[in-house]
This record gives sequence, structure tokens and C-alpha cells, in this order.
Amino acid sequence: MNAQDIIALKERGLAEAAQAATLAEIEAVRVKYMGRKGLLQDVMDGLKSVPPEERRDFGRAANELKQELTALLDGRKATLSAAGKAAGRKQFDVSLPGAWRGLGTRHPVTQVIEETIRIFSMLGFTVADGPDIETEYHNFDALNTPADHPSRDTQDTFWLDGTTLLRTQTSPVQIRVMERCKPPVRIIAPGRCYRRDTTDATHSANFHQVEGLYVDRKVSMADLKGDITFFAREMMGPDVKVRFRPHFFPFTEPSVEYDFSCHVCGGSGCRVCKHSGWIEISGAGMVNPKVFNIVGYDPEACTGYAFGMGLERIAMIKYGIEDIRLLYDNDVRFLGQFS
Amino acid sequence: MKLPLSWLKDYVDVDLAPKELASLLTFSGTEVEGIRTIGGDFTGIVVGEILTCERHPNADRLTVCQVNSGTETLTVVCGAPNAAAGLKVPLAVIGVTLPNGLKIKKAKVRGVESFGMMCAADELGLSEDHSGLMVLPADTRVGTPFTEIAGPPETVLELEVTPNRPDCLSMIGMAREVATLLGKPLRIPAPVVKEESRSVESLASVALEDPAGCPRYTARVLSGITIAPSPSWMQRRLAAAGIRPINNVVDVTNYVMLECGQPLHAFDYELLDGHRIVVRRAKPGETMSTLDSAAREINPEMLMIADGRRPVAVAGVMGGAGSEIRDVTKTVLLESAYFKPSDIRKTSKKLGLSTDSSYRFERGVDVENIEWASRRAAQLMVEMGGGVAAKGCIDVFPSKPARGQVTLRFDRARDLLGIAITNDQVVSIFKALGLGIVSRDAACCVAEIPAYRVDLLQEADLIEEIARIHGLDKIPSPSPVAKIVPGAEDRATRALLAFRGNLVGLGLSEIMNYSFLSEKLLDLVGFGEAAKRVVLPNPISADHTVLRDSFIPQMIETLGKNRARQAREAALFELGRVFCKDEAGRNAEVDRVCVGLMGPVGRPGMLKSQPVKDEEMFQWIKGILESLLAAQHVPSIVSGGLSRPDVTLSMMPSPCFEEGRAVRIRIAGADCGVMGLVGDRVRAEWRLTDPVAVLELDLAPLLANALRIPVSRAIGTFPCVDRDVAMVVEDGVSHEAIVATMWKAAPPELVDIRLFDIYRGENLGKGRKSVAYSLTYRSMEKTLTDEVANAFHDKVKAALKTELAAEFRES
Repeated sequence: MNAQDIIALKERGLAEAAQAATLAEIEAVRVKYMGRKGLLQDVMDGLKSVPPEERRDFGRAANELKQELTALLDGRKATLSAAGKAAGRKQFDVSLPGAWRGLGTRHPVTQVIEETIRIFSMLGFTVADGPDIETEYHNFDALNTPADHPSRDTQDTFWLDGTTLLRTQTSPVQIRVMERCKPPVRIIAPGRCYRRDTTDATHSANFHQVEGLYVDRKVSMADLKGDITFFAREMMGPDVKVRFRPHFFPFTEPSVEYDFSCHVCGGSGCRVCKHSGWIEISGAGMVNPKVFNIVGYDPEACTGYAFGMGLERIAMIKYGIEDIRLLYDNDVRFLGQFS
Repeated sequence: MKLPLSWLKDYVDVDLAPKELASLLTFSGTEVEGIRTIGGDFTGIVVGEILTCERHPNADRLTVCQVNSGTETLTVVCGAPNAAAGLKVPLAVIGVTLPNGLKIKKAKVRGVESFGMMCAADELGLSEDHSGLMVLPADTRVGTPFTEIAGPPETVLELEVTPNRPDCLSMIGMAREVATLLGKPLRIPAPVVKEESRSVESLASVALEDPAGCPRYTARVLSGITIAPSPSWMQRRLAAAGIRPINNVVDVTNYVMLECGQPLHAFDYELLDGHRIVVRRAKPGETMSTLDSAAREINPEMLMIADGRRPVAVAGVMGGAGSEIRDVTKTVLLESAYFKPSDIRKTSKKLGLSTDSSYRFERGVDVENIEWASRRAAQLMVEMGGGVAAKGCIDVFPSKPARGQVTLRFDRARDLLGIAITNDQVVSIFKALGLGIVSRDAACCVAEIPAYRVDLLQEADLIEEIARIHGLDKIPSPSPVAKIVPGAEDRATRALLAFRGNLVGLGLSEIMNYSFLSEKLLDLVGFGEAAKRVVLPNPISADHTVLRDSFIPQMIETLGKNRARQAREAALFELGRVFCKDEAGRNAEVDRVCVGLMGPVGRPGMLKSQPVKDEEMFQWIKGILESLLAAQHVPSIVSGGLSRPDVTLSMMPSPCFEEGRAVRIRIAGADCGVMGLVGDRVRAEWRLTDPVAVLELDLAPLLANALRIPVSRAIGTFPCVDRDVAMVVEDGVSHEAIVATMWKAAPPELVDIRLFDIYRGENLGKGRKSVAYSLTYRSMEKTLTDEVANAFHDKVKAALKTELAAEFRES
């Protein structure tokens, strides 16, 4: 027997191993070739009769036989046993629902608040806060809205006593911030406000506003326009336009109101914008020098802009909510839509 | 304010379509809220006379009328309550289409044929009035086409005039705006009055006792006046502007007020005691009834117009019933005056009476226009009522105020607006607005403010004029520049946002309730002390009378409402403020979070159908508490090898919660919240039959360390050894006591304790339970051998035995 015979033997073994269809047949092949009394052992027993110069090739061929046959048999065994396990295992329905508790949702007004914070944070604004129960001074007087002036009429107030009230706007936070910080000031102040409005589809006695105030050297109305426009695009979409109309607020001069072009129809008119293409948002203006004087800022050394926005209104527009009362009804079917 | 365009065009030429004019006004500061057309095509509508009017045989509320149309007599069935024989009314015959789109056809109404329709004002698009047939003056000729009565269609702009612009509360005021914006001339009438030789001073006198409250008072006397309806053109204009026509004298006062913004009052001269006007404060004890026949409580702070004896008008607000124009009035005393705005506002507020007059006075009228308005009204009254005016005008004006002057720095205007407008452009805007230029140099100009512009008091006001006339659209809108203010930081906001994120991550959905609620709801749930509640003295409704001192009542209500809407489960939270009075009685606000659970919220899908047990529900809410405490880095205490939140829970009595299922929560020794299962009595209010859990916590301790940066510790590389212990203890021995005992007894190598079984059964004996724990030991220095681990574990067991009388169940 020489090395060629061993290679031929290997080929036969490999062919038999490939044909073995059960674990028992695989084992039979192993025993036949590599068992204690197997064919490979027979070959090795003949090693002594091989001439010394051929022994190296002979040995290598015998070794190859052993390795290759073992590898093939092991592979066949693994495949067959995996298939066997799979055949014995219960199948499950992967279309069944998952069982992990889902995430909750943020209230749509909160989402607008958080989005507003994000947008103005990009510009370096930080969040300021003030109390819901305010003084008449902070809510009105310091905002150049004296008691005997008709500009108070627009805000029907919940008075708690002669001098304290539930704030009708977030503007008193402007005053509180300017009382405690020197300029420059760059803040927004989201919060709850209260007015004695009879509740209907667009009015709520309890609502949210966000106030913005930027005071520095040479702040201009152009800055106000640019920043509000930036906000509009970030909040409602990159194609939204803003238009400004002159208006009156006691604590800003000049004062403006601003409208966003309708993000739903792009300005051509739809249900959300009542077919006008524009949606009235809120008011803003350049801080009235009288207000600066009241808080002890020098109106010659600084100028500033301020704005306020109704957050329910923005949420309603943004999400197409038709009735403000839905925002305070807390129906889980409604809230679940804002994931 | 309503602005009929035909009236506006008396004073300025407007060649814009109504929509364009509306846009022009809106973008210069007078918002046009609506455009309305009054009237329309009245072809085929004629003046009819009701000849007879009888009850419909088959209907109580209908009448059958014979109506003369001028050419024939028609039978018309009518539903109007005021139908009566002799009335002249608009009559639409068969085939006519009304302005509101209704087409008139022959109809059988309850068995009676009707050949036309008599119309109410709203059906003709003339007003909102649907109270009855529109009754035309008795002398109207039957058969006259209605177009001749109603005039051509009128377009009316509905304006929102801001409180700073009383000058815009009139036709001339708006014409002035339009003229400025269009660069057109303004035509103001120059009234000339037919006067007799008798002087007004010989007929009447004015004593101005309170020049502070009334800086200027004028009076004219007109005699020989015949009270009659005013001409139809005037009635149409008044109606279009929203004022009901009454008679020629009263209508003229209203007409001139609408024309120029100056409220006027006409007294019956013969009813003025001593033919005397005294402008004074009310005297203590005085009373009066106003034109609307209401008895008014007046007080000495209120300014009155009195005659020689008694008050005859509440100055600037409303005339008195005892001196008003009657059908028999022959002589009229006409008042035109200026009253101090804040006085009028106070009086109007106090009386709860706001009129067209007080509305204008409290905003400020043109003190220089008082006499013009008087002259204009006298002219019209004489033209319409016949008669003649006494010579002259009593004009008490003790100190004529100088016109204001305001300096504008051109650079300041450019800087504040951010535009490159030239000095010349600024000056021409001022001139167009009617401002006088007193002086001007390269840096600034001084503008003289006309008396009608009561809003222009400071430089910023002038800058606003530049902005609105030049156009806000001309101001650039640059890309924003981010800027960090020194010292700015937003840690509190970041902490709150992250906290909310954690709540949402736990599967809770956010709700928002009003800050006020009914006391009934608070009482029902019984949180807080009633005496410390902040109560609203002027609530809108009984449901909103007090500020909430806890979120829990509304949370339970919200769960209940959702249950009533057939929601099977809800896991909710609310973040915000509660209110109460502090020890000193001051109003205090505290930020809190509240969580509420209802239904099988803690279970996976297919197990949800089994009823929720109390204990299970409590474990869910507690699980939320523990997750939050861990996430928010509340102060911790270290026991054994592990630190855990420094939180203690103690049972508390509560009317809201189930007995024995109410827990007070302390963090680092301070009370900061409650947690529990809502009791039967409270749940019954919303028919909640299954367990409901709520948790309420102060936010401050949860947020205080929220942004703490964790410092990493070694986690150990050697394998751990687990050892179980199963024991029987008295039922009263709490998990907490067992765990505490273990921690205390174990070496630092004990790193975790997990409960894995609780069993109660008869075989254990009454009042006993079997509990099983798995303990993990790990050394940071070496691999623990079985012997060492067993020694640790034996120590723990020994402690359990001696301290808690535990008996071990050997397996």
C-alpha cells in the first residue's frame, strides 16, 4: 500500500460520509474508517513495510484522511442534530403583539413649550419663571397699564384681593427678570395665565403663554422680525412666512401683531386658516421706554424687544385641533395621538 | 367700530376696492375684522300698506293680511308679531329674490294662499333685526320702490380700534388716516349755524365748578325745534354704523359723535331748572335715574351735570331721565364738553355702564374740537328740526392746554426700527399725519402734536408712527444671531425636561387640568386644609371657585371620566403648580408631579383581562416611585455594599385613600408626597370599581440633584456567588425589616438581595408566611470560595434567626 492508495481510501470515506443520512450512519462510517479496528488502523499497521523514503508521504496521506473525514463527519452531525431539534420544537406566531409597555405621551401644549424652548435655546435664550399669583404691580402697573386706562379692559382679571391676581399674561416675568438682572437679558418665560373668559371653542379661562424678552445695546425691530420668523419656520415648517401688522400694547412701543402663513395649505386657504391663508398668532414690540424707566433700566443705554404667544393657539394650529377644550379634557384617546 | 364707506367718502376720495382699503388699514394699525354689505338688490320690493290684518283661521301665530302694493291688493300670510292694519312695510311680491337669497313664490300656508311676503330688516340684509316687520314712516307713499327708501347697498368695514387711538373712533378720524395713507386731501365740513339775535348767555348759564374733571364745557340753545324722525339718509347711516335712530335731535347728537368722535348731549331746555348747567361732583345722598330708566347709585366721586336743583346727567356717561328730549320738546340745550378720561372710566366702571359716549371720553376726545362739534350739531338740528340757534356759544375753557411737543432723533428712529429711512421721509410722514414741525436740524426734529392725537407723548410713539406709515414690511428680517448672555444658565429647565422624559419613558401620558376647581371636589377628596385654600372671589362658574392645593382630585376625576368613556386603562401624570396659603397667610405656590393609574397598566397584553388586585396596583405605583427616585438621584444612604435612595414610607390616615393603603413619602427626612390606593367612597363618585392608585410628589427634591454627574465606580471582575435563603416568619415582619437585618449582618461582599417568593398557607400556621430571598456575594479582590460565601451566608441567617425569629426551611 502506498500514499496513492490512502488518498483513494480517503475519497471513498468522504463519499460515504457525505451520503450518510442519519446520526447512526455517520457513526457507522466513523467506525468503519477510524474505529479501533477500522480501515485507517489497517493502513497504519502496514507502515512498517513501507520503504523509509516513502514513509513521509504515507504518513501525511494517512493524517489527511483522518482530519478531513473527521471534519466532514462532525459537520454532518451538527447539521443533522440542528435539523432534528428544529423539527421537534414548537413553532410560534411571530405576528403576535409584543408585550413591552409602550412610551407615554407629552401633552400637546407641553410639546409646543418644549419646542419653543429648543428653538430659542439655539439663539441663546434661557428660561425664566414667575409666579401664577401675581401682584397688580407686576401684571399691570409696571407694564404701563394703569388702573384708569382702557387698555386694562382687554384682560378680564381674576382678582384674589385688591392687589393680587392670577396673572393675565406672562409679561410680568419680564418685569421680574429686569428687576433682578442688569442688561443684557435674553429670556423666554412659558407659563400659565388666567382670564375671566367664558370657555368656548377658542377661549379658555386657563391657558398658557410664552413671553420673550431681549434687551441689549441697539436691539431693533429688524431683530424682532428676524427672530420671530426663525421661530415660525422652526415651529411650523421651513416654508412658513410671517407678516407683521401695527398694533397697540401698553408695554411695547412700537407694537405689532404677527401672522404666520398657513403651514397646512401653504397660503392658498384651508380649514385651519379659515381660508385666508394666514393665521393670527400674537403680539410683540419694542420695549416701551416707560417700562425701562419703571424697572430702572436706562432707555438711552439699551433697547429691547418683547413678544408673547398663546401656546394653546399654536398647538391648535400646529396639530389641527379645532376646540381648545380638548386640551383640558384629558381624554386618553386624544392624548394618545401625540406620541 | 363700523365704518360705512359711503360716509367715509364724504371726507376723502377713496378709489380702492373695499378689500384693498381694508388691507391698507390693517397694515397701518387699524385692523379690519370684517367687511359687510348692507342691503342689496331690492328690485321688485315696494312699499306696501297693510289694509286689514286678521288672525289666521288655522294658526295662532299667523295673520292673514290684505296688503296694498300700490297697483293691487294682495293676500299675504304673515308670521310677524307686529303686523297690524295701517302699517307701511317692505313688500316682496311673487317672483322677487330677497338679498338673503330667498325667492318669493305663491304658497299655501296652513290652507291659506299667500301672494307675497312682508319683510323684516334682516331679511333685507339691512340689520340683524328679526323682531318683526320693518316699519316704514307713515308718510311713505305706497308703491314706492323700496330701493328709494333703503338707498344703494352700503359696504361697512368692521374696525378694531386699539385703546390708544380714540381719534379713529370717528368717520373724520378714519378719513384722516386714509388721507395720510393715500396722500389725498381731507375735507372737513365748515358748519355755519342759522342764529337769531338773542344771545345764548341771555337764555342759559354754565357754572363749571370742577375744571379738573371738566376742563371745557360748551352749551348752545336751539329754539323752535320740531321733534320728528330724522331724514332717511341719516337714519341709514346711523343704522349702518350700529346706532338705532330715535328722533332728529338725538340722531344728530349721535351722528356728529360718529362723524368727529365728540360725544354730545341734548337736554330739553325747559326741563332744566333755572336754565342753568352746573358741572360738579355728586352730593352725598343724591340719586338719579338715567335715560335707560335705571335708578343709579351715584357718589361724590362722580362728576355730574346738574341744573339749578339736581343732577340731570352722569357727565360723559349717560343723560338723566328727567331732562331728556321728548316728543314735545321745543327748545334744546346742546352740550359739547371734554371730561377727564380717568374720571369717566371710574364712573363708568362703578356704575357698570359703558356707553358710546363714555367709551370715547375715557380714551380721550379732541379738546380743540369741542366747539366745532357743537356748531356742526346745531347746524344739522336747525336744518332738520326747523327753529333757530341762539347767538353764540357758551364756552367755558378756563385754561387752554398747550399742544404737546415731542423731539425725535432721526438716528434713534433708524436704530430702533433697523431701517435706513431718510430724515426727509420721516418729516414728510409727520406732515402727512398732521403733525406740526416746530424745528428741525440734522439730528432731530420737534413735532407739535395735534390735540386729537392723545397717544403721541414720547419719542417712541413717533417712531411707531414712522413704522406704521412707512410700512412694517419695509423693515428687514435678518437671520438671527445667537448670543449667550453672561451668567445665563438653564439647569432648572434641563432638569424638568429630563424629568418629564423619564415620566414618558415609564409609559405615563401627560394631562393638563385647570388650576382652579370646585371646592366640592377638593372637599370630597379631602386633601389640604380648607382654611389654607386660595379662593377666587369672582369665579366664572361654580366648578372653578378655588385654586387647587393638590393635583389628586382632578387626577381621580380624569381617570373617572376616561373610565366612563370606556377606557380600560390609563397611566397618567400631571406636572405643574399647586397653591395654598403659608403659615403667615400669604399665597404660596409649589411645583408638583402627580401620577395616576387605573386598570391593568402593569401587565402585558394577554394577562390584562384578569381583574387587578389591590396589592398589585400598589406595587405598580410603587414601582413608578422607585424608578423615579433612582432616575432623579435623590439623596441616598449607603447600607451594606449598596447605596439606595434615602426615602422612608410611613402609613398615614387619609379620607381619600383606602384604609391601610395610604403612604406618606419622606425624602431625606422631609415630607414630600403621598401615595396610595383611592378609597371606595371617592371612587364611587365616578363609578370606579377597580383599584385606582395615585402618587403626588413635590418636584423640588426630585429635581435638586437631577443633573448630578454620576461618578463611575469599579464593578468588580471576580465572579459572584448566589445563595438563597427561605424562611418562615411572623406575618408582621416586613420585607423592609428582613432586608435591613440582612444588610446589617452581612459583610461588604453582599451586593444584592432579591425577593423571589412569598407563600402563606395553612401548613405554616396562622399569621405566618414563608419568604425566600436570593443573595449575591461578590468580592472586589478575589474569587469567593464556597466556604467563604457560606460563612457570610450563615452570618446573615444567624442574624435573621436572632433578630426576627426566622425559621429556615432546609431544602
